[in-house]
Formats: sequence, structure tokens, C-alpha cells
Amino acid sequence: MSIRILPDHLINQIAAGEVIERPASVVKELLENSLDAGATRIEIEIEQGGKRRIRVRDNGLGIPLDELALALGRHATSKIASLDDLEHIASLGFRGEALASIASVSRLTMSSRDAAAVHAWQVGSYQGEITPPEPVSGDVGTTVEVLDLFYNTPARRKFLRTDATEFKHIDELIKRISLARKHCAFELKHNGKVVRALPQATAPGAMLQRVALLNGKQFTESIIVVENQRESMLLHGWVAKPTYARSQADQQYFFVNGRMVKDRLIAHAVRRAFADVLFHGRHPAFVLYLEIDPELVDVNVHPQKHEVRFRNGRETHNFIYSSLHHLLADTRPANPQVGEANQVASGPAITPSWAAMSPLSAIGQKGSASLPIRESVAAYAALASSPVAELPNADESVPPLGYALGQLHGVYILAENSQGLVIVDMHAAHERITYEQLKQGMEGSQPQVQQLLVPVSLHVSSAEVAVVEEYAAEFSRLGFELQVSGPESLLVRQVPVQLQDTEITQLVVDVLADFISLGSSSRIQEQQNEILSTMACHGSVRANRRLNLTEMNALLRQMEATDRADQCNHGRPTWVQLDMTSLDRLFLRGQ
Amino acid sequence: MKFSIQREAILQPLSQVVGVVERRQTLPVLANFLLVAAEGQLSVTGTDMEVELVAKVSADVEEAGETTVPARKLVDICRALPDGASISFETEGEQILVKAGRSRFTLSTLPASEFPGIEATAVIQSIQVEEKGLKHLLDKTSFAMANGDVRFYLNGLLFDIRNDLLRTVATDGHRLALCDLNASFDLQENLKKIVPRKGVLELSRMLQDSNKTVELGIGKYYIRLVHGDVKFTSKLIDGNFPEYEGVIPVGANNTIQADRAEMIRALQRASILSNEKYHGVRLELTDNNMKIIAHNRDQEEAVENLSVEQDMPNSTLGFNVTYLLDALNALDSDQVCLAMEDPNASCLVTEPGNEENRHVVMPLKL
Repeated sequence: MSIRILPDHLINQIAAGEVIERPASVVKELLENSLDAGATRIEIEIEQGGKRRIRVRDNGLGIPLDELALALGRHATSKIASLDDLEHIASLGFRGEALASIASVSRLTMSSRDAAAVHAWQVGSYQGEITPPEPVSGDVGTTVEVLDLFYNTPARRKFLRTDATEFKHIDELIKRISLARKHCAFELKHNGKVVRALPQATAPGAMLQRVALLNGKQFTESIIVVENQRESMLLHGWVAKPTYARSQADQQYFFVNGRMVKDRLIAHAVRRAFADVLFHGRHPAFVLYLEIDPELVDVNVHPQKHEVRFRNGRETHNFIYSSLHHLLADTRPANPQVGEANQVASGPAITPSWAAMSPLSAIGQKGSASLPIRESVAAYAALASSPVAELPNADESVPPLGYALGQLHGVYILAENSQGLVIVDMHAAHERITYEQLKQGMEGSQPQVQQLLVPVSLHVSSAEVAVVEEYAAEFSRLGFELQVSGPESLLVRQVPVQLQDTEITQLVVDVLADFISLGSSSRIQEQQNEILSTMACHGSVRANRRLNLTEMNALLRQMEATDRADQCNHGRPTWVQLDMTSLDRLFLRGQ
Repeated sequence: MKFSIQREAILQPLSQVVGVVERRQTLPVLANFLLVAAEGQLSVTGTDMEVELVAKVSADVEEAGETTVPARKLVDICRALPDGASISFETEGEQILVKAGRSRFTLSTLPASEFPGIEATAVIQSIQVEEKGLKHLLDKTSFAMANGDVRFYLNGLLFDIRNDLLRTVATDGHRLALCDLNASFDLQENLKKIVPRKGVLELSRMLQDSNKTVELGIGKYYIRLVHGDVKFTSKLIDGNFPEYEGVIPVGANNTIQADRAEMIRALQRASILSNEKYHGVRLELTDNNMKIIAHNRDQEEAVENLSVEQDMPNSTLGFNVTYLLDALNALDSDQVCLAMEDPNASCLVTEPGNEENRHVVMPLKL
């Protein structure tokens, strides 16, 4: 076969293979176009799970008549103009391929009207031919209709699932995208029936309703509000308390500049922040937004833009880690009125940067636009403090966990506070206290190092040898001395004293793997913490130990002063509150 | 099988052998003793498939035979019977009947054919050693063996046998203990054999401080020792022991000399306040004084002062105090000599002017 240039239509179909996988991907591309056009209301109509018909109508900027036909061409976009623009992309799309790709595997018609036009114009595309524009009626905005998806690629069509499944994917997608855009209202219809109607969610707390759609009500009832800023980065959103841990890594949503991504670096940072409060094999749940200068993030990595690359990967990792880490450290018994009220009432009272720059005209503007954080922090503070002031009889003298009443079967401590009854798992609570003390004792000190009389030799790949050379300083900071003894072998000459009895070979190999994939490793610290955790378990009061009231009260006061005291080392809760209302309910009082 | 025997006569071999029987196992027959009665003699065998002990004792055998019985239960029964009782054993089908005075016990048995014996392979080399000397070698080194290390060859004691010398060496990767015994053997070649940890511990339990000679039979995969009525057989660890000679500092010119007993007591006191996990102590040397400092996590501190003779003033050393104490306790002299190249290099602990018993301890960087 001779070499030849492929026809445009075929090129588009190949490109479509990368991006257009199922009806939900079509909806995603169309929604992103609408959002990039500054739409505040988007209606999505689906028929037969999107296999028959997908229609997306927005009230965005619209497309002028002379650009209308061009928009369906390949590599045609208004979102970037030069390589320079590619360096700081603030829009969701930029490749200029979506419409052409969709058009190549379906029958597509698009009508649009910009503010200057008196009526809308419509173009269509069928088998690579673009029909000339004809006038139609319509409001300002753009409507795209996609009929008979994959009619010309039977292989793809065969892989589509039932209508219900395909629609479920679309529904999921809408829920996720709606989380990123609170200023936009969404309406989703399936076979003529309205399935989901999401009004604008600008009011405080309204976003939580959208979160509840995705993660369930239980999630929204056990959240901690995240909000932290450092230099050009802003992290906000919600994480679930460690006691609401999942057995799977679902319910994890991360948005970078309004774009949902699945990134290993981010996942690792979050996991590390939760490492100390979650049991092995449990996963945290979160909805987090990272606003970052678009120049510092490269979205041109993945055709579907699921992954991003950070210019300062380590810095970003540290920022996310430390933001969450500090927040989780504060999960300790506090006067519950403050905590609860604040969490329920406050959505993120901030205006993220993308909201300010959503119209297309703003895209050219450099992403370093100042983030309006200061005002919002103030608003947030006001919000948080108001419920406290209003509380009529908050007894300042009673500590959050109150005073001990007695012990139940040598396992639980019962205490009375201003709310009602507090039940504390004695062993779990003391374990956490001991653990945190051990960790604190460890933190300040220099790593103590045991030299090995008989070095441990291990066989590794040449890539891992290169990593050892690159990160030599990092290893010695952690207390290891690794020596390259051959092209594929290493000698461990010294190890941190705490780890001298662990299996060094496995640890070093795992740490090397971390360095290769993430550029950093927390494994050594985790291993140390595991040892401390075992020590803490053995050093804590066991069940069936009788305590007197003084001892119990001392334990309660220690819990109040200890970081992360709300969960034991394995992520189980250490105490629960039974307030008077729920006690009354048990006895049908006042009903 | 049928025999009878005095309580004291059978208790002796039983308690010698029972140590080798593991408390928990997957193979049921390993929890049993093999009893073989024949020609006026009873032999009791216990094994964990690595170490095997066989003890013989004379008994009044009426009917020869062999069977296996639960080891710990049998020992407990014999021990609990009154002094001087005469115990009779008789197999009845799959059970064995144990009678003494007005007591009767029926124990279940497993067939003797299921009992795994260590196959007797040819002894390549036999050496004669004074019992006391062998015990001394084990006592001075066995504490430094590793326990459950992935480097399986460290979980045992190296017997380095040369024509003029029997040497034992143990290391757990952090410290090393070595002890020599002068001898004259007639060997075809030098032998280096690693005896597993459990074998070493059983062996040192068996040996006594006597001047008698014992014969150590060394095969390719086994080591054997006959001691009175007890025969000890142990598998050898099939691996290469690290080149220990390379890690022993030679001609280290910085030395410290101190009173051994005093130093042990000072270190023991200081160790009370050392970190319970890794027992670090700091030794600060000035002129003729060694200051021993230990800290724990609660910022408590122990300081001991010890007069020493030394030629490396103004330096600071760090050690795991348990390793140092183990080494000091394994010496016999009044004085002790610590020698090293520099404070961060390995430290040789010896009796002054005596190279027979040497210990190497790696420093800690505190």
C-alpha cells in the first residue's frame, strides 16, 4: 500500500476515537463549550440514553454568522490563538477538535445567535459535508443537536450499553460538572421528562445540595470545610470526617480551576494527609477545588483532560497535604455548638477565580488574577462566629467533653456535658493520646542512625540505581545510607534506629518506587508511625481496667488537648454525643 | 509395646528432650515423642525437623515396640506423679495406657512410622573438644545471633573449624561476637558450618562445665553430638556466613580502657533512662573521664561518670546500650578495652591483651 494523506473526514473519525467514547463524552464536550461561552443556564435533552438524540442548549455568547461554518471544522477554536495562550489556559477546551470529532460520527446540527444578530442561523454536518447556514428562530446562545451517534462506526455502537446505563453516565457527568459551576443552572431531560433541575447555587449552602446529589446526604452531614490559600494557590471545598471513610476510592472529586481531574499526585497528597486517621484500606471522601494560576498547570497532557501536570508538583503536593493535615489535626472535641453550626450553615463563601472570568472575553486575561480571598475569609469568619454569640445558655465553665459520671463494663466512660451524655471508648481514646505524644517526641529530634555491621545488599533495576544517586541527600536526611555497589545492586550501610528491626529490603524498594513515580516518599514516616502506633496500643489502658473519676476526668481533659482525638489510630470514633433531645426521644418525652 | 520404669528414671530423659518440641505446629506428630522400647532400653526422641534429640534410658521391657505419644502431656503426667512411683506403659490399639499406683491415664498415639526422623548421613569429620570449652564458646557468642532475620544465614552460629582452632561467630547485622578455642584437629580442610539458632540453644542447655571430651560429628548437612545418653542432631543452615573477618577492626589505634564491672554497672543505671525502643547512650570522653548520658522521650536524663584510660580525648560516641552491655558481659577480665578507628567507625570490645574473645559493636549516630 502506498503512503498517502488521509482524508479530513477520516482524520476526524480517528480523533473522535480518542475523545468520543459514549454519549456521555459528547455531552461533556458540548457542556464544556457552553460553559466556556459563559452560559448561566444549560438545558440538556437526551433521548434513548443519548444514542438517538442529544441536544444541548445554552444562553452563552453565541457564534457570529461568519464563524458558524468554521466552528465545525477541525482545529477551529476561539479559545486560544497562539502557543503563548496554550501556556495559561483558563478555558475548559482549547484543542478545537470536539465539534469536528462529534460531527464525524453523528448527524450534527448547530444553531446559534450572538448578541448582535437579529435571528439565529443554523448549520449542519453530514458525512464531512457542511451545509450552508440557513436562518432559523432562536434566542441568544447556541444549540447543538447530535442525532444517531456512531451511525457510521458500528464497532463503537456495539460497545454501547443499555439506554439506562448510558443515561446514568450522563447524569453522573452533569452532577460532577454542576459541582464545578455554581453560577450555572442545569436542566436535564430524558425522553421528554425532566430528570434533574439544578437552579443556580450562589446562595451559601446551596452548593452542598449539589454535593449531596453526588455523595449522598451522609457525606454532607459529616464534612469539614476546607479553605486555605498560599501564594497563588487556593484550596477550598469539603472533606468528610475520617469516621466517614469509604471502602473504595469513590466519592473523591478534585477540581483544578473548575476542571475535574484524576491525578495521582493529588490523590497521594490527600491520602497522606489522612494516613494517620484512617485504617488501612479505607479511603477518604472529598470534594475539593484547587484554584491555581493557569500558568502553573499544564492541561494539555491527556486528550480527555483527565490528568494535569503541575509545574511545581512538589509544592502543590505539599500545599494540599499541609492544608488538609492541619485541618484534620483539629478534629478533637471542641464545644460542639460552634463546630456543627459552622459546618452546616457555611458553604464556601468565596468567589473562586473562574467565576469572575467566565465570559469568553475574560479568557485572554492572565490567570494570575488576584483571588478575592480576603473578603471571603472575613465573610466566612462572620458566618462562623454568629451562631456562638446567639447561643443563650452556653455554659463556658463546662469543658467540651464534660465531667465523668462513671464507667460502663470497664470499656466506656460516661460523662455529662452541657449537651447531654458523652460516651467515650476508653482504650481508643487513650491509644490516640499516647500515639500523638510519641509522635511529638519523635518529630523534633534528629533521626538517630544505626550503622550496619553487615550491610544489607539488594538487587534493583538500573533505573532505581539512578534514583538512588539523584535522591542521595533525601535518603541521608531520612537516616539511610545507600551505596551503589554495581550497575544493578545497592548496599544499605545505615538505617534509622527505629527501623532496624523492620524488613529493610522491602522498605527501600518501596521507597525507591515512590521516588520514581511521585518524586517523594512518605513511606519511611508511615513505617515509623506504624511502629509508634503499635507501641501506643501496648502502652494504653486496656478494656476492663477500672478507673476512678479523677483518672477519667484527666483522660477527658487530655482528649480535648490532643490533635486528631476524634478518631483512634484506626479511624474509629473515640467518643459520641447523646444529646438531651435524642435521650428525650428514647423515652417519648415531650411528644 | 509394654514396659515399666521408675518415675525419676524416665523424667530425666523426657525433660531433656521436651525442649525441642514446639508448642504449636501444623504437623500433629511433631507434638509427640517417639518411644522405642527394645532389649531392656527405652529411647525417647523429640524433633522439630530441624533439631532432633534422642535420649536413652534402661527400662524393664516386657514387650518390644514403638509408638508416639503427646510429649507435653506425658511430661506433665510423669512430673505430677509421686516420688518413686513405678510407671507402666502399655499400648492398646491406638492408645497407650499409663499406670502408676492408683492412677491410670489413657493417651492417644500416632503410628511411629509417621514420625519424621533426621536421616543419618555420613559424618565427614569428627572433632574432639573439651565439653567445658565448647560450652564456653557458645555462652560467649550465642547471644548475638539474629532471630527471624530475612538473611537466614544470620539466624545461627558459625562454627569456623581449622586445624589449630575452633571459632564460633554470631552477628545480627548490628554487632558481632567471636570466640576462639585453641585446639589441634586433624582436618582435611577448614570447615565453616552454621548451626541454626534453636540447635545452638539446645546444645548449650545440654553441655555442662566438665573436663570430659565430647565428640562433634560434622556431616554435609548435619551436625551431631553424643553426650552421655543423649544424642543431639541438628540440620545446618545451607548458606554463606558473611565474611566476618573484614568487619573486625584491625590495629585500631584509638583505645579506651576501663574497669569492666564498673562500666557495666554505670551503663545499667544509665540505661534506665534510655529510650525504651532503641536504647541509645552517649559516651563523652574528656581526659580520664567517660561521661555516660542517656535520654528518654520525656526529656529525662541520666548521667554517669566513669574513670577511664584513653587516648582519644574530646570525642563523643553513641551506642545501643544493650549491645554494649551484652559485649561487656561476655568478657571475663577485670578490665575492658574498647578500640576504634574514629568515633563513627565500628568499635572492638576485648579483654586487654587477649584476642580470644572479641566483640564488634556498630556505633549509633545520636
